[in-house]
Amino acid sequence: MLTASPPTRLRSPRRRRVTRGVIFIAMVVMAIVMLYPFAVMLFTSFKTENQYLAGHGTSTQSWHQLASSLPIFQQLLNSTIVCSASIAIILVVGVMAGFSFAKLQFRFANLIFLAMVSAMMVPLQAILIPEYVNVARFGLTNGYLGAVLVYAALGTPFSIFLFTTYFRRVPDELIEAGIVDGLGYWGVLWRLALPMALPAIATVTVLQFIQIWDDLLVGLLFLQNPAERPITVGLAALAAGRTTSIPQLMAGSLVSALPAMLVYLGFQRFLVRGLTLGIDR
Amino acid sequence: MSTSSTVTVPNATPRATRRASTSLLTKRRRRVGVVLTIPAFVLVGLLIVWPILQAVYYSMTYWDGLTTQWIGPSTWWQALHNPTMWRALENNALLLLAVPFALAIPLAVAVMLHQRVAGWKVFRSIYFLPTAISWVVIGLVAEHFFAYSGTLNSLLGDVGISNAHTDLLGSESTALIALGITFIFSMIGTNTMLFLTGLATLDTSLEEAARIDGASAWQIFRYITLPHLSRFIQLAFVMTIISAFSALFSLIFVMTGGGPGYATTTMEFLVYQTGFNQSQFGTAALYGLILFLITAVVGIIQLRLIGANDS
Repeated sequence: MLTASPPTRLRSPRRRRVTRGVIFIAMVVMAIVMLYPFAVMLFTSFKTENQYLAGHGTSTQSWHQLASSLPIFQQLLNSTIVCSASIAIILVVGVMAGFSFAKLQFRFANLIFLAMVSAMMVPLQAILIPEYVNVARFGLTNGYLGAVLVYAALGTPFSIFLFTTYFRRVPDELIEAGIVDGLGYWGVLWRLALPMALPAIATVTVLQFIQIWDDLLVGLLFLQNPAERPITVGLAALAAGRTTSIPQLMAGSLVSALPAMLVYLGFQRFLVRGLTLGIDR
Repeated sequence: MSTSSTVTVPNATPRATRRASTSLLTKRRRRVGVVLTIPAFVLVGLLIVWPILQAVYYSMTYWDGLTTQWIGPSTWWQALHNPTMWRALENNALLLLAVPFALAIPLAVAVMLHQRVAGWKVFRSIYFLPTAISWVVIGLVAEHFFAYSGTLNSLLGDVGISNAHTDLLGSESTALIALGITFIFSMIGTNTMLFLTGLATLDTSLEEAARIDGASAWQIFRYITLPHLSRFIQLAFVMTIISAFSALFSLIFVMTGGGPGYATTTMEFLVYQTGFNQSQFGTAALYGLILFLITAVVGIIQLRLIGANDS
């Protein structure tokens, strides 16, 4: 098929088909590369330690033993608690401040807004040491609260930025009408403005869920009590143990990855929107 | 006028409304405005801004987490003469060599996806999927891939170069390469997503017209697609650099623990090690600030670039 036609200057349908065929093959190769981690986790998890070393055979043994080496249900629950609490704070604080910055022009509002948004650029490592000592001083490295507050503070600047951009699109007349009707600013925010920001709520939720669920550093330092460990930290701790069975580790990895993958597959478009918000305005 | 002006937001310019800005309602609006920002102010102020100031103070002290001893700005001078810190900065600089790959591969992937060949939506989902999983998990798989008895070596064996047994993670000269490759892999999904969004805003009739005029695929890419994507490439560039400086902790923690020696210790990992393994909290705070300065410079350049494009 490739040799059938002499090369022509005009792009013939045949040549186009060949090009598309080449692209298709390249995309299949790329897909194999990108699916590689999932394949490794899946296939390795269905082996025993010996089968893994020998390179053949299958078994469900590591799945049966998983719960004994990794308190998987407790850790999934911990991750869920920390994620939900942090995201709830990020949303409420972000909605309130965003509405204020966008619509309630008070003195120095723009300056404070800029300062808040700049906080997005602060990497956690830059403040890690004082942050840890402060949180530890209040005894908050035991219990979820310390980690929740740190995640909330790290996620809030982006949330404020996103909600401010959204609320700026709400017409002033609508807000005035709401005030005239006696809703008050609080009522206007929750009943009139918020429904218009639902996509922003989805974007913040999805982005933060994936970020917090997948994070290691905060969980590692600010959740010192092993019973409160989130799943990602649990995995890293398990991996650090030299005697860990690799099939079990892979089974645990797969379980830990599933929730974020499901959220991602369900809400892909909100993720894309959040990432490109900086340039799409 | 007098009745309506009381409810007008002062942004509406006429002087009459300006004067009315002292009205009761305006005062109330401003008060509500301040009250609504208080939680954000407290949260960001106490947990982000205040620790930066603390870090500045503590960077000039000897501090083991319990007792603090003031030393002064000379600590900065000492840090600049610390070979370990320079080693970490050097590792960071070397990791920047991965950035072009972390941009070029996603760019190629996005352009291929944009051709919309059969099944492109499925491919898109597959390429984005690793974006959802933790870099801890990616690190675990990568460690297994690069290990002496791992997949890379059995692959090499399959192709017949079995005597070229590599141990990338175990050797000081190559561990950073393995880390860099894993970093590139981890960035592919996000950057592809960015570029594909950029391509979606490209007017296809432009490409079509160029094609009819006899432009080659390369010419179309070089003179139409690439210029159109420039802002997206800039954004991806900056995000990738910032990730290289501040998002590799999980990968390093799982894959190498900073070793062998200091072969894969970057600035961010040095902050953790110095603070939590060596209990030198003052020095660790200082390293954190240096990292902050670097990422801030990158961020300011980015803002400048975006500003230049807007005007």
